[in-house]
Amino acid sequence: MTPDSPLTASGLSVDYGDATIVKNIDLKIAAGQITALVGPNGCGKSTLLKAFARILRPKTGHVTLQGQPITSYATRDVATRLAILPQGPVAPEGLTVTELVAQGRFPHQTLFRQWSPGDRAAVERAMDMTDLAEFADRPVHSLSGGQRQRCWLAMVLAQDTPLLLLDEPTTFLDLKVQVDLMALLSRIVHEDGRTMVLVLHELNLAAAFADRIVMMREGEIVAEGTGAEVICPDQLRAVFDLRADVIADPETGRPVCLPRTPDHVPMHALAAAAE
Amino acid sequence: MNATRTIFAATGFWLCLGGVVLAFLWHISVGAKAIPLGVVWQAITAPQDGVFDHVVVRDLRMPRAIFAISVGAALSVAGALMQGVTRNPLAEPGILGLMAGATFAVIIGIGWFGLAGSAYVPLFAAIGALIGAVLVWTIASAAPGGATPLTLILSGAAVGGFLYAIESAAILLNEDTFRNFRVWLSGSLTGRDMQTYLWALPWFIAGLIAALVIARQVTALAMGEETAAGLGVDTFRIKVIALGAVVVLTAAAVSVAGPLGFVGLVIPHVVRLFVGSDYRLIVPFSAIVGAGYVTVVDIAARVVLAPVEISTGIVTTMLGAPMFIWLVRAKL
Amino acid sequence: MSMTTLEGFGGRLALRVPYRAVLVSVGLTVAIIGVLTWSLMTGSYPLDGAQVWATLLGDAPSDTATTVVWEFRFPRTLVAFIVGAFLALSGAALQYVTRNPLADPSLVGVSQGAALVVVAVTILAPGMGYYMRPILAFGGSLVVAALILLASSSRRGGETLRFILMGIGVAALISSVTSALLTYGDIDRAMSALGWLAGSVHSVGWDEVRWLTVTAIFVVPAFMAAARPLSAIRFGEDVATGLGIRVRMARWGLIILAVALAATAVAAVGPLGFVGLVAPHLARRLAHSGVGMHLVLTGLTGALLVGLADFAGRAAFAPVQIPAGLVTAMIGVPVFVALILRTQARSQL
Repeated sequence: MTPDSPLTASGLSVDYGDATIVKNIDLKIAAGQITALVGPNGCGKSTLLKAFARILRPKTGHVTLQGQPITSYATRDVATRLAILPQGPVAPEGLTVTELVAQGRFPHQTLFRQWSPGDRAAVERAMDMTDLAEFADRPVHSLSGGQRQRCWLAMVLAQDTPLLLLDEPTTFLDLKVQVDLMALLSRIVHEDGRTMVLVLHELNLAAAFADRIVMMREGEIVAEGTGAEVICPDQLRAVFDLRADVIADPETGRPVCLPRTPDHVPMHALAAAAE
Repeated sequence: MNATRTIFAATGFWLCLGGVVLAFLWHISVGAKAIPLGVVWQAITAPQDGVFDHVVVRDLRMPRAIFAISVGAALSVAGALMQGVTRNPLAEPGILGLMAGATFAVIIGIGWFGLAGSAYVPLFAAIGALIGAVLVWTIASAAPGGATPLTLILSGAAVGGFLYAIESAAILLNEDTFRNFRVWLSGSLTGRDMQTYLWALPWFIAGLIAALVIARQVTALAMGEETAAGLGVDTFRIKVIALGAVVVLTAAAVSVAGPLGFVGLVIPHVVRLFVGSDYRLIVPFSAIVGAGYVTVVDIAARVVLAPVEISTGIVTTMLGAPMFIWLVRAKL
Repeated sequence: MSMTTLEGFGGRLALRVPYRAVLVSVGLTVAIIGVLTWSLMTGSYPLDGAQVWATLLGDAPSDTATTVVWEFRFPRTLVAFIVGAFLALSGAALQYVTRNPLADPSLVGVSQGAALVVVAVTILAPGMGYYMRPILAFGGSLVVAALILLASSSRRGGETLRFILMGIGVAALISSVTSALLTYGDIDRAMSALGWLAGSVHSVGWDEVRWLTVTAIFVVPAFMAAARPLSAIRFGEDVATGLGIRVRMARWGLIILAVALAATAVAAVGPLGFVGLVAPHLARRLAHSGVGMHLVLTGLTGALLVGLADFAGRAAFAPVQIPAGLVTAMIGVPVFVALILRTQARSQL
């Protein structure tokens, strides 16, 4: 791990309502890499991501952004260093793709300097990268789910930050679109030298594209490392209660998880569990 | 429903009914001149023509008490049906535009078409209530996101404001015709004659019977449309009947008392706290408790600022709106 | 969208200018001037357009013309325009902040709060200074808005949904208290309050113009500064935070602005309904634009709407005057319904 991690959490706990969702987490995000947060539903991975992005205020502990506590920055200065794409964002009616992407320039603008050549360049670059030029003047609402997700991604790219945090960017997309999107994210990180943290639902997608994987369960980090280090049958059973085999992808060598049905569980036990 | 619960429910029902009878008698006894409950009872059971108090009770006070009871029962049952069928805890004839529609139709029917006969009043009210309901539902469904509780209530408020504006303009343009309606418009039990009530009575009865008949299916519908269909309920038919019952009940109530807000919201929720989610219980209990509630509210409306009388509708809103606020906070 | 970029001062000033929106706003301004002229011409003492402008420019054809225009018609029409712009902007701000296209100051209790205070003052303390009215109305609306916000805040999120529903409940409650006050109060005072409650520009004069202008001087620049946070807030709390907005503070500030505008307008002419609901939607239909330009268009549209409503209300059934508030409600709702139905039809294509 690089010593100068751009984003770290130390002793971080986050409450939501009466429940503690994230419990005393220490984590350093590796610079220039994709880190995927994975774990079963309700394990606190999205909450951790939001705490990293100062959307949720931690109960104890703190987040450090580029060496300083994130709370010591003005929120707009945070926004020039760190961009977050929350889960399932909704665009206002009638907004066009260019307008949505241009919104990413917000932290770089002032009341009297609302649209500079720098803004235009950043928006064009973001739309190039995400291959959106042909949709520029279309309303966001008229696009398909995958195209829409690319618009949002372009918006956070236009924010032009070294750090990108994405919450389940692939949810509700077709498999092919998921893979395309992940390949795009991987290119952005490795060609542009940015750092990315993703919350992912799909374990195999994380294994195929993430440089580092953080496995969480019940608000705590269970395992952390490269895909090969972290994804093994024992971990899957411990974190997901999942019986699975892990094989190596013959092409990339990355781990692939093959879930197995719990065939030794008798039917009546399943029925009982269902109730 | 097991035996214990049946006994429990029956006991509760008779207790509530007793309460309503007491409220009824109390309502009659209160007034410019207090008449003792005993005399009231006598006037009802064994009237004597020569006794002044008996005449006051039978000709002046009892009709108003009967109006209160009928209107309270009708609105509460209408609210219960709406909440069950639409699965919207905030549904109520006043909130979802039925009352505004009924009021509007009565004003226009009488003002523009000059239909003074009291027989027409419930009919106009019913047509108006139906139009109001359809309008609110159509607007809400067309709004982004569809007919959610939020869009339904907002479109109810918008339709209500719209119709109210036209009513106000109509009144401004023809003050003489509408002088009598000013009080009625704010929801009041004063000044209605027995004639109107008698014309509305069949509507009350038809609506209540329909509500009781479909109560069992409404329980299923309240669990969700698909669940109900799966249980063999003809959901479309039940919804149509429920809409019909709600329209008829609202129309009858508005004909007699004008718009009484929030009665249909408050009572079913209170009733549900005690009897659970079975509409075979909710419907009759709503009728009884609602009858008692409006009777007591009407007493308060007459007594609190006496000799000035506040419109009953103002009081039901003052009491009901906090309940609405609480429901929003607790359920949404 | 066709735009051009405006730059100056070594790149320190750099704005995008959408052509169509600018054209539309010019068109709206022309229409407002037209309604102004028309409105000043019409009445029991008719004037023609030339006479109206001569009078306005200080060269009146007769003393009567001076009196009619300067004492009655001109201040009244000005108030209608300003109030319209205020209510429209208030509605737009509420719609952006709550992310709900159906929000409106007269639906969510803000107008009712102002109305209650004004009615209470009219009935219980009729001697109170006239200038206190807008301040008290602002106080009343602010208390109501604060109550609604507090009651709707919760750790579970979904605050904007509850804000609107709470608002409707509170509006009903406050209206019933207002009605009770009217029942309780002295009949003459109650009648005067009742006329005001219908939303009438009938009896206003230069006093109202004065304090509306003072409010505008404070609030309009604040609104211009607010356009930027608004453009981020419409994406929702999380995205806005990510873009560097202090959402909570911005939301409170915007709601206070919206309340101030609505309250001042209500204090002047009574609760005019539905302008805040309709004007932002109409403006959006007229020209597609960013938030700042949309606010400009919304203000102009609102001014035009209430100007027209006032004019229609006094011309249609003369000599009976229909209060502008009733006209805005009668026009506003059908227009609004048509707008959302059209949106729906188009998005299904």
